[in-house]
Amino acid sequence: MDKFRAVLDLHLKHHSTLGYGLVTLLTAGGERVFSTAVFQCPCSATWNLPYGLVFLLVPALALFLLGYVLNARTWRLLTGCCARGARSGGCGAARRAVLVFAQLSATAAVAPLTWVSVALLGGAFYECAASGSGPLARRLCRGRDPSCEARLPLAPCSPAQAADVQDLLKELKAQSQVLGWILIAVVIIFLLIFTSVSRCLSPVSFLQLKFWKIYLEQEQQILKSQATEHATELAKENIKCFFECTHPKQYNTPSVKDWQQISSLYTFNPKDQYYSMLHKYVNRKEKSQSIRSNEGDVVIPILGFVDTPGMNTAAEL
Amino acid sequence: MFVSKEERAPPLATAAAAPQINKQSLFPWYAFSMDAFQGILKFFFNQKTVIGYSFMALLTLGSERLFSLVAFKCPCSTENLVYGLVFLFAPAWVLLILGFFLNSKFWRLFTGCCVNPRKIFAKGHSCRFVYVLGQIALSSLVAPTMWLSVALLNGTFYECAMSGTKSSRLLGLICKGKPQECWDELHKVSCGKTSMTPADNEEVKLSLQAQSQILGWFIICSASFFSLITTCCARCRSKVSYLQLNFWKTYAQKEKEQLENTFLEYANKLSERNVKCFFEKKRPDVFPMPTFAAWEAASKLHSFHQSQQHYSTLHRVVEDGLDLGPEDDETTMVLVGTAHSV
Repeated sequence: MDKFRAVLDLHLKHHSTLGYGLVTLLTAGGERVFSTAVFQCPCSATWNLPYGLVFLLVPALALFLLGYVLNARTWRLLTGCCARGARSGGCGAARRAVLVFAQLSATAAVAPLTWVSVALLGGAFYECAASGSGPLARRLCRGRDPSCEARLPLAPCSPAQAADVQDLLKELKAQSQVLGWILIAVVIIFLLIFTSVSRCLSPVSFLQLKFWKIYLEQEQQILKSQATEHATELAKENIKCFFECTHPKQYNTPSVKDWQQISSLYTFNPKDQYYSMLHKYVNRKEKSQSIRSNEGDVVIPILGFVDTPGMNTAAEL
Repeated sequence: MFVSKEERAPPLATAAAAPQINKQSLFPWYAFSMDAFQGILKFFFNQKTVIGYSFMALLTLGSERLFSLVAFKCPCSTENLVYGLVFLFAPAWVLLILGFFLNSKFWRLFTGCCVNPRKIFAKGHSCRFVYVLGQIALSSLVAPTMWLSVALLNGTFYECAMSGTKSSRLLGLICKGKPQECWDELHKVSCGKTSMTPADNEEVKLSLQAQSQILGWFIICSASFFSLITTCCARCRSKVSYLQLNFWKTYAQKEKEQLENTFLEYANKLSERNVKCFFEKKRPDVFPMPTFAAWEAASKLHSFHQSQQHYSTLHRVVEDGLDLGPEDDETTMVLVGTAHSV
């Protein structure tokens, strides 16, 4: 059991890195499958460029949207936002929502960027697209015989063609790989800078953040088990009363307002140490007090993890 | 106030869920093989650092092989230099940044440092920030150095890059004693498509690969020598004796484990209280937790004082309270096996 503990520690310590690593591996595997099994360069002057670009960019767009869908914070932000009419807070709430949206976009951008860089490293998509692009073909074919421009789009399909055109294809592949590596290098340094800055601006110390993450995982598990228990009892009571035509006994269940209060996006107040909206709500001073948009509540970038405990909460929620 | 030393709750039930196997009732060979297996696991677990580094080396080796087989194809054009250099240095860069990401001392250093710089280091020791950052950078440089040396030992990356050079001095060195085609068509030498004789072509190619391998060995030797010198220097300057240093490392490891267990325990209790109160609509009872200031004090980076033998920041905070005494005599943890990797 100790060995499994060690693996669990690794999971807790490098949670986000493992997550990103998994996403990278899956995207790389997917790209391999696409470029070997599905992609067939049409080898025509008019279709090469759109075909290559579609294969390069459309899966990236799909992954970007999937990143939004699979992030529980999106649903926290969106659920009920139209139904509640005039939102309390006005400008402040709108600004918070924009900040959260920006953070969500940044997280969702990881998978598409991985796809694009792995696809560029593979070279097939860029090669096909660039061989159909007029300006690029003209630049490559400068100083060579005039039929080069006409033969270039057909080159990816027939490897047995003239050697000079194949050389150009090799050059295109090399350009593609250089672009892919530069993209990876730039993205990773931006990721480091962004994470360092958001950590720098964290009002919460290192150990407390660590405890916070562990607390959230536990709260999520316990909420789920308690909710299941509560739901089972309530359902049993209702069904029993339905069949026996009696009145159900008074059941102490949280009201709609209670659930709304704990479902809102987490805001940090430097005066208190509350680790989640549930914690805040349970510890409020008066029974009827609303915990949303109080004095001093701010959205901190580094505390975005509070709304998304665990890796696959969207499926559970 | 801090968390007082309350009675510890019994160990988490989940850890001991599996029933004990009654070895007496099973075949003796099964019992023996289970013992042997556990022994092997224990041995490997004790060699964590060595295994960690060898795993990293294997990973680097594997990915380099993969890259050079699958992805790396020298274009044999004027872009050779850029192509070869990017393939040599971009993975090294990525490994360096990943090293920073996976180093928890880095995050300990940065968390909250803009909000309150004095939180991390006491007055007058701001240059320690740079020192610790340098330490982190040095330990992150291990993986890129491994990649560079393996890639250079391979030879194809360097060969491609050097064959694209335009500098006349380098061309003179490489093409010494070779016909004029070598000077004009050096970028095609990797693909064997120059107008030189195959023997000449092969000779140039092999000499470039030889240079690459010599450079690779040189990097390996100098990196290992450099790390030996720095470890010796750090140990030399250590004001802590050898046995105490060993104890320090063991203590740090144990404290880390205890801290994580306690985090889990307290998180469990606190979240259970909160969720219960939410569902049963009750007022919550008081739950003792460390204050904000206590957390901040415990997250500071540690430095050793000879006058007070505290083995970690937590140790010092618990014994001395939240206000820290003057830092007169300091020493720093040695590079290898630091205690801050919480």
